[in-house]
Amino acid sequence: MRPRLLDLVGLLARLLLGGVLLVAGWLKITDLTGSVQSVVAYDLFPYAVSQLIGSTLPVLELALGLLLALGLFTRVSAALGAGLMLVFVAGIASAWARGRSIDCGCFGTGGFVQPDQTAYLPEILRDLGLAAAGGWLAARPHTLASLDSLLRRGRAP
Amino acid sequence: MPRSPAPRATTTKPSGPPIGLIGAVVAFVVAVIAVLVYLAVRGDGLEATGSADTLPSGGGLVVNPDAPDDAVQVHVYEDFQCPFCGLLERSAGEGLFAAADTGDIELTYTFMSFLDPVSDDQSSSRAANAALCANDAGVFADWHAAAFAAQPEEGIGYPDAALTGFAEQAGLAGEELDAFTTCVSEQTYAAYVTDMQEAANQAGVSGTPTVEINGERLDNDELTRLQADPSSLTEIVEANQ
Repeated sequence: MRPRLLDLVGLLARLLLGGVLLVAGWLKITDLTGSVQSVVAYDLFPYAVSQLIGSTLPVLELALGLLLALGLFTRVSAALGAGLMLVFVAGIASAWARGRSIDCGCFGTGGFVQPDQTAYLPEILRDLGLAAAGGWLAARPHTLASLDSLLRRGRAP
Repeated sequence: MPRSPAPRATTTKPSGPPIGLIGAVVAFVVAVIAVLVYLAVRGDGLEATGSADTLPSGGGLVVNPDAPDDAVQVHVYEDFQCPFCGLLERSAGEGLFAAADTGDIELTYTFMSFLDPVSDDQSSSRAANAALCANDAGVFADWHAAAFAAQPEEGIGYPDAALTGFAEQAGLAGEELDAFTTCVSEQTYAAYVTDMQEAANQAGVSGTPTVEINGERLDNDELTRLQADPSSLTEIVEANQ
């Protein structure tokens, strides 16, 4: 493929991963009680740790989402975003393996759902797809319409 | 004011701050915001005071604090906006309060408020506060039954008028009703309501309804039976005590 087309693919990957992170972070930070409770529902950490994760994760998601949307520090943000998605996959898989009936809480309040209403596989596939978008950008961070290119252009030589 | 021109010799240096510095500033700002949000969420511990019969540290409201020492401990966690809590209350509620009356069980309620965002007016918190107001007025059992009998569909919420209406149904009038109405509109127990949510999460409760009998959580099948068949209560309490 021509470089310009690859840059366009990169832009789409940026907007996809960045957009999802922005939405997910926003829904959580406007409902921090729900965000903490969603982490509690995984039953993986002591309460103090769940509280720390539930309150700081939305900030991290918003920050990475904003950086990706702007195309600033694309390689690092995308690598962190992809890493985050893989952590989510591990968490969801662990809930699934332990037979817990929860919603992943990816977009705000999770917690218990009826056993026949879990959606672990679609949730995992979605996060793997987003991780792939992040992986692409980490490998090839040059994209269309990014602050990274502007910053580079503003510099000599 | 424009600065005096920099020496020409630096033209090979990039204009503007180095990228590393920008990155460090961004990372620092994000870290500071994260810490601030964490501190805001962590709050000031479980210090708030509840109504007459509440346990300390957000532990919930005891329906019959005069229960005998050997009474079976039944602890119900619910959110006034949770539809399955409504099912549970309309099925097993009467039996639970009757068993509390006879002293067979000591009944404790924790009102959670994580469903606040489904309504526009924080109805879970406001209804939980009103339940504590009803406790102060001495009409908790009837108020609670009236609230769940008239539970709105999830998302519609409880306006203050509805919360006060349940108190009238429970028999409050005159000055008592005025005191109740003030307690509701001022959200007197808002801080304790927050503490109940946090204490429930600390206990690992992350969904409603959750029912514990002598500390043991009922499983899904038992909850489903309770929600469908009021007569299953006695048997389930016996099986878990």
